[in-house]
Order: sequence, then C-alpha cells, then structure tokens
Amino acid sequence: MKFADFINSDSIRAELAADDKDSVIREMAGALAAAGAVAEEELDSIVKAILRREELGSTGIGRGVAVPHTKHPSVDKLVGTVAVSVEGLDFESLDGEKVQLFFLLISPPDRPGDHLRALENISRQLRDDTFCRFLKQSKSTEDIWQLLVEADNNQFVS
Amino acid sequence: MALNIVVLGCGTVGTSIADVLCQHRHNVTVIDQDSDKTQKVNERLDVRTLTGNASQSSVLFQAGVPSCDLCLAVTGSDEVNLIAASMAKAMGAGRTIARVYAPVYRDLSTFDYHRHFHVDRLLSLEHLSAMELAHGIRHGGTVAMESFARGKLEVDEFEISPNAAAVDKLIKELGLPTGIRIACVSREGQTTLALADEQLRVGDRVTLIGTAEAIEELKGMFQTGTTPRRDVVIAGGGETGYHLALALQHGRFGVVLMERDIERCEYLAAKLERTTVVNSDATYRDQLEEERVGTADVFVATTGDDEENIMACVTAREIGAKQILSIVSRPDYAEVVGKLGIDQAVSPREVVARQVLGLLHKGAVISRSSLGAGGLNVFEIEVREGAPITEHVLANVRLPAKCLIAVVVQEDFVRVPGADDRLHAGDTVIALIDDSAVAESLQMFSTNGS
Repeated sequence: MKFADFINSDSIRAELAADDKDSVIREMAGALAAAGAVAEEELDSIVKAILRREELGSTGIGRGVAVPHTKHPSVDKLVGTVAVSVEGLDFESLDGEKVQLFFLLISPPDRPGDHLRALENISRQLRDDTFCRFLKQSKSTEDIWQLLVEADNNQFVS
Repeated sequence: MALNIVVLGCGTVGTSIADVLCQHRHNVTVIDQDSDKTQKVNERLDVRTLTGNASQSSVLFQAGVPSCDLCLAVTGSDEVNLIAASMAKAMGAGRTIARVYAPVYRDLSTFDYHRHFHVDRLLSLEHLSAMELAHGIRHGGTVAMESFARGKLEVDEFEISPNAAAVDKLIKELGLPTGIRIACVSREGQTTLALADEQLRVGDRVTLIGTAEAIEELKGMFQTGTTPRRDVVIAGGGETGYHLALALQHGRFGVVLMERDIERCEYLAAKLERTTVVNSDATYRDQLEEERVGTADVFVATTGDDEENIMACVTAREIGAKQILSIVSRPDYAEVVGKLGIDQAVSPREVVARQVLGLLHKGAVISRSSLGAGGLNVFEIEVREGAPITEHVLANVRLPAKCLIAVVVQEDFVRVPGADDRLHAGDTVIALIDDSAVAESLQMFSTNGS
C-alpha cells in the first residue's frame, strides 16, 4: 500500500500550532474534517477514540515520530494525514524525545487488513533516516506531499 | 433446553460459572491442567471433568468442543484463553468467550484480536465489575435502570421541567449527538415510541438510550437546575478501580482514587487526568479521614481483597460517607454485607455469570426487558450473517411500525442509525418493540428459523 492510497493531501500541515498530545490529535483530525475526509460531527468521537488508544501505550515510536491511529465506523475507507511540529512536542515517546513528525490514521473497523498494511507501510518508510529528516524539515504541505510521492516510488527505502 | 458447554479453566471464575450453568441444567465439561482442581470440582458439581492443557487440540477434542454450543475460556492466562477460544471456534463450537485481563486485548485500534482470533466475546471481569459499580453510582442505587451492551449503554428517564431547553421543541429540533436517542415519551399515562415530529411538553417523561456520558451531558436539556457535583472516593487502584475512575471522571463527579503502591499511583495519575490519585492506604481510618471520606457522597472499595474492602467500607460508613459500594468476591460474604451498611456489593463472578447466561439464547435475542407499563420492550439483539434485516438499508427493511431500532453498537462505537444505514453481521442493536409487534420484528433478525 502506498501513501497516496490513504494520505489526504488537503489536510497535511507543515506547521502545527498544537503544543501537546490532545491538541495535536485534535488539530490533525480537524484538518481531515475540514478537508471533508471525515464527518465534522464525528470529530469528537474520533479524537476520543485516538486518545483512548494512546492510553494503552503511546504511539510515539521514537526518533521524533508518532503514529496516532484508531478504527472508526464513520469512515468507509482508510484515511490519514501527516503533520510536522517545528518545535516538537512531548508525546510520551518510547525514547523520551520530543515528536516532530506525525502520521495520523483512521480506518473502518471491518477492513483490518488494509489498516495493518498502512501501518506497515508507514513503519517501513519511517525507518529511513533521510526520509524522516526531509519530512521534519519540510516548509510546506507541497514539500511533504512531494516526499510522500517519492517514497511511494521507492526513492528512500534501500 | 440443555446446552453442551465446555469451560476451560476451573479457578474461582470457572468453577462459579460451571456451578451456575449446572443449576440451569446444562451439560458442562470442565478442563484444567491441575488434577487437584478438577478433582475438587468433580466432587462438588455435577460436571464432567478433564485434566489437560486447554490450548491442545487433543484435549479440546476429548472434551467435545467440536459439537458444543458454547466454549468459555477462563483460565488465569489471557493468551491461553485467546488461543483456546480461537481453536474452539475453528473446531466447531457454537459460540466462544475468552476472559482477558489486559485492556489491550479489547482495543482494536492497532490490532483486532476479536476478529483475528474469531472469538465471539472478549470479556474482562474487572471492566464489567467497574461498569456495574458505575451504574450503581450514577443511579444512586434507587432506580433499577437497565444497562446494555456490556455496560456501554444505559437507559434513563427524565421528566421535562418548566423552562427546560426541550420544552415545546420537536424531537428532531433538539440536535441530539450521535450516541444518544429518545426512545419513548410518556404523557398522561400513555407511552409511545418517540417520533422525530413529536413535540415535547412540560411534564412529559422521556426515556433516553445512550452512552452514560451522553445521557449525563444531555440531562440539562430536559431538567432545569443543575445537579450538584458528587464526590466519589475509590479505594484501590487496580484494574477495576482504574476502569471505574475512567468511567466516572467525565461526568458530574469529583473522583479521588486511593492506591497504596507509589509506582501504580504514578501510572494511574498519568492516565487519569481528571481524577485525583493519592498515595494512601484505605485500610487505615486516619487515611480515609484525610481523604475526606466522611463528607464524600460515595465510597467504593475495589481492592483485590474482600476483607480489606469490607473493613474499609465499614469504616467509611462510620465516618459518614453516604453511599457505600464494594467489590465482594466470596459468595458466602454476600449475606452479611447488607447488615454491615454496604449499599451495593458487586461480585465479579456474578457479573460474568450474568453475561454468560445472556449468551445462552440460541436465537439472535441477547436480552429482553420491559419498559414500564406501556407494553414496550427493550430488546438487545445480535445481527447475524444472512438475517433479513441486513439485506437493505433500514428505510427499505420491512420492519413493523411499532419497532424502533434505537441504537447500533458496532465494536466499541455506539451510533443512532439513520434511514440510510445498513446493519451488518456482528452489530448489536437495541430495539424498542411494542408487545404486538415482537414476533414480526424478530422475524427480521432470524436465520434458518432459529
């Protein structure tokens, strides 16, 4: 599965305003709602579900990256977005480092296969330091989208 | 009708479930690795016992799992329970239930254990007990209001007071959020299903179905005057205490959680933002006094030890706490707790036994309860593969007029269905059905005549 299959380009944010866990999730899910990728009236329920998942253990996987995610019945296909926090923020990551790069993912409960393939793709691509560094340095949504397309074309994974 | 049931694990939970099932005259087989345990159960109960490892196919086969109606995996190990229940399902068991302790097994965000392992229900005793306590606290132990869908949904009734926001509004104008619905309206002794065009008046009694949080939030729409905040002190920050604090902290409750282990306190404090976690021991009177249990509205004891719970409750009552609840596991203690001033004792085993009995229905109906005197019933129904109700969107399904699909529970999510919604196998619905329409309505949920 490629980024282009599930990342909603209109909701990518290169400069997050949020400065804590709750608000970054709210801001990113809000961007998806603003882009029409998730229903506005489901926003609260989606944010709650993502935060509930975080309670089980942070999705901050280290090296400045976090992948908050949930399943939610209001979406009929996998949808995700990317955001960068220039300053970085505390996400209770495994390595204690601040998180700058966020991939947020929402998928329908009845398609567990797609969900796992998307998490696998994100996880595999983010192993590449160059890809991570370029993403964190991105200045615009266009830059981020361009990097994702390049990753889809296997320009990073060695 | 007697069912064939296999219980994996005969610790306290397995034994007490086997006992209840025997009382209901089912054919029960119990498996445990420990021959001392199986022998004891054999002496006490009229069950067939087998000594062996529940995650081995040879053992499951010997126990008759391939032709059983229900297989319950309740050993002390989450992993064994998951594997054994999954194998049992694949081998042909009608329904399977696995008991799990760790909350992560019931979360589907990263990995859907329930779907992956094909287990019909993943039950947590600690979570179910906490939901039962939360229910008792919300309703002050006075009204016998039902809860559904393993405690996710509640039913509550309110009288519309003068000047309330809902007065003279049509139901469709109220703008109710997705997790809640007005089920029926009682006026001048007549109870009717709530329709979108119904106009609400002062004095009407409305029955709401929804998540406890949503009901809590919406109360104010029907009643004027604020309900005062209630202070709750929970003793014991184990899994039960944690789930209880989590359930209450979003409502109109001020929650204090007492836990004596400092590391556990730090963990709880990080996870329960709106709960005050204190490092103290509820078995000491001075520490209860320090946490102002004397002025608390509710005191709940949820430590893992019955004697400690009971002592803490007796002390809390004496220093002035108003409502007292406790986890009490030993069945022989149940007789005395009332005499000691404990208002409600929740037994984890009874809670889980009730869940299990609810799953013994052969058809799609999980539970049925009547709603007051109006001839209306609340049904909790499982949507099964191939049921007629799944063939079209709700608008095009031939349901009788006196049947209202109030709420749909899909996995962890609760929604009020619209006309364009279509039900899927695996959903659970809460439906309001008039006495006269029960048979016809249930027809839409039946598969192969069952």
